[in-house]
Amino acid sequence: MQAGLSTQNAPSPSVVLPHFVYGALMFLASAIVMLIAAPQLILPYHLNAHMLTLTHTMVLGFISMIIFGSLYQLIPVVMEVKLHSEILAKITFYLFGVGLLILVVSFWEANFGPQQNWLWFEISGTLILIAVFLFAINTLISAGKTKRKDIGNLFIVTGIVYLTLTVSLAILMIINFAIPFIPVSILDLLKMHLNLGLIGWFLFLVIGVASKLMPMFLIIHKLPEYLLKYAYYLLNLGLIMIVNTFYFYPKTWLIGLSALFIFAGLGLFLYFNYYAFKHRFRKNLDIGMILSKAAFIILAFLLVLSIFAVVSPDFTASFQFRIDIALIMTLVFGFLTALILGQTYKTLPFIIWLQKYQTKVGKEKTPLPQELYSDKLAHWHAKTYLIAFPFLIAGELLGIVWLIQVAAFFFILTALLYNYNVFKIVLHKEKIIKS
Amino acid sequence: MSKITALTDKEKEIAQLLKTVIDPEVAVNIVDLGLIYEITLDEENKSIQIVMTLSTRGCPLGDVIMQNVQVVLDANYPDYKNDVELVWEPMWSPEMITEDGKKAIDGL
Repeated sequence: MQAGLSTQNAPSPSVVLPHFVYGALMFLASAIVMLIAAPQLILPYHLNAHMLTLTHTMVLGFISMIIFGSLYQLIPVVMEVKLHSEILAKITFYLFGVGLLILVVSFWEANFGPQQNWLWFEISGTLILIAVFLFAINTLISAGKTKRKDIGNLFIVTGIVYLTLTVSLAILMIINFAIPFIPVSILDLLKMHLNLGLIGWFLFLVIGVASKLMPMFLIIHKLPEYLLKYAYYLLNLGLIMIVNTFYFYPKTWLIGLSALFIFAGLGLFLYFNYYAFKHRFRKNLDIGMILSKAAFIILAFLLVLSIFAVVSPDFTASFQFRIDIALIMTLVFGFLTALILGQTYKTLPFIIWLQKYQTKVGKEKTPLPQELYSDKLAHWHAKTYLIAFPFLIAGELLGIVWLIQVAAFFFILTALLYNYNVFKIVLHKEKIIKS
Repeated sequence: MSKITALTDKEKEIAQLLKTVIDPEVAVNIVDLGLIYEITLDEENKSIQIVMTLSTRGCPLGDVIMQNVQVVLDANYPDYKNDVELVWEPMWSPEMITEDGKKAIDGL
């Protein structure tokens, strides 16, 4: 193998593919839960059972599952190392997948009253916790072997560390429900959990991966990576400050200051992407990058919404809880979902294409990776998604159930079309084109 | 050693041949993408040496592209010793894309 040539490090597709299939099905399940649970999704009480079912199905089942699979593929390729253990990755998948199913069913049936049975929460939480630790061990050992120390890799590794903290805190919360011992309100614990998970895990990971993939997909070099270095320090500072503030010293001005650092880091990342899209050589965007561009526009909207959530001006006081919920929905169903829908088309077809055609390239005429899925259907689900998302946010901000039901209907359509393409790619049969 | 901009007629034939190798991500051939730096045909020693790069380190399709180059050379020059060398200096940049490559990317 020649220096720097890393494709041979990629793991077996049998490690990666189940994550995409499971994730796609969970996206569909989330959309169905949204339709059924719409009336509960506008309640001021954040911790209602149906809201928790929806967010965990989406965040863990769809988003995290696909990120796990993608990282198993991406870390070896971009860091030029072998994945530490493929067997461990497969065990992790089953523990996480089973744990998650138990968790979301437990949430759906929960009442959180004095009679609440916490056993299944503890079992599922433990399964997920073990899975996350195994994932972290596997990926961190792999990443530790890399000789390529750059800001993208640093973001990815830091994100994985925050993931373990997020899940550990969730377990502490569950134990604390059953046997109260933490001297902090459940709402403050929840805020710590949300900040660690949504900023520490997802945002760090997305920034790390984006810094690697943007130059490849947009054909651009000499991106202003120094912006990401500043973003790294600002986001870490803001996140560590805000989490500690909630626990030790929950004062408004400190929360505001922490948020300011986070907003500044987020702003730098947004500018980095704006620069990449503006100076790209490849002007025509394929469906993967159209959806990714939509994700970054949604991220800008998210930043505005976050400012309203933190500043909390007088005129929003009466519906502050709605802004908070809309903010989480914008991150989960907006930015992260759009990005994953798009990046699926930039990764999954290539994994299958390499599996089926790697040894045939040059010897026989093979289809291109882009020909492994229906581009037309992908464009359709981009449209249905871009209808669904505004309806969801409008429904949350205005507290109107039928808007959320319309959103859910379009999310179901999106998920069905997306699933069709995912299965079409995964089940692709080798095809040699006759010249 | 012949730079891609200063090839002999026979080396130009090899360059034409390498235009059948496509980067699957952008669906443009590797010569027009500017990935081929040097083509050296040594008739005396019956050898062909290709010096090339990839658009980015960690390119997920790097192996496939290089394998494709090797297969195409071996199939068309079976009596030659064909060698494909990967380099990272000078670093590839979009300015290396030819006019035909630019048109192909814009027309995608």
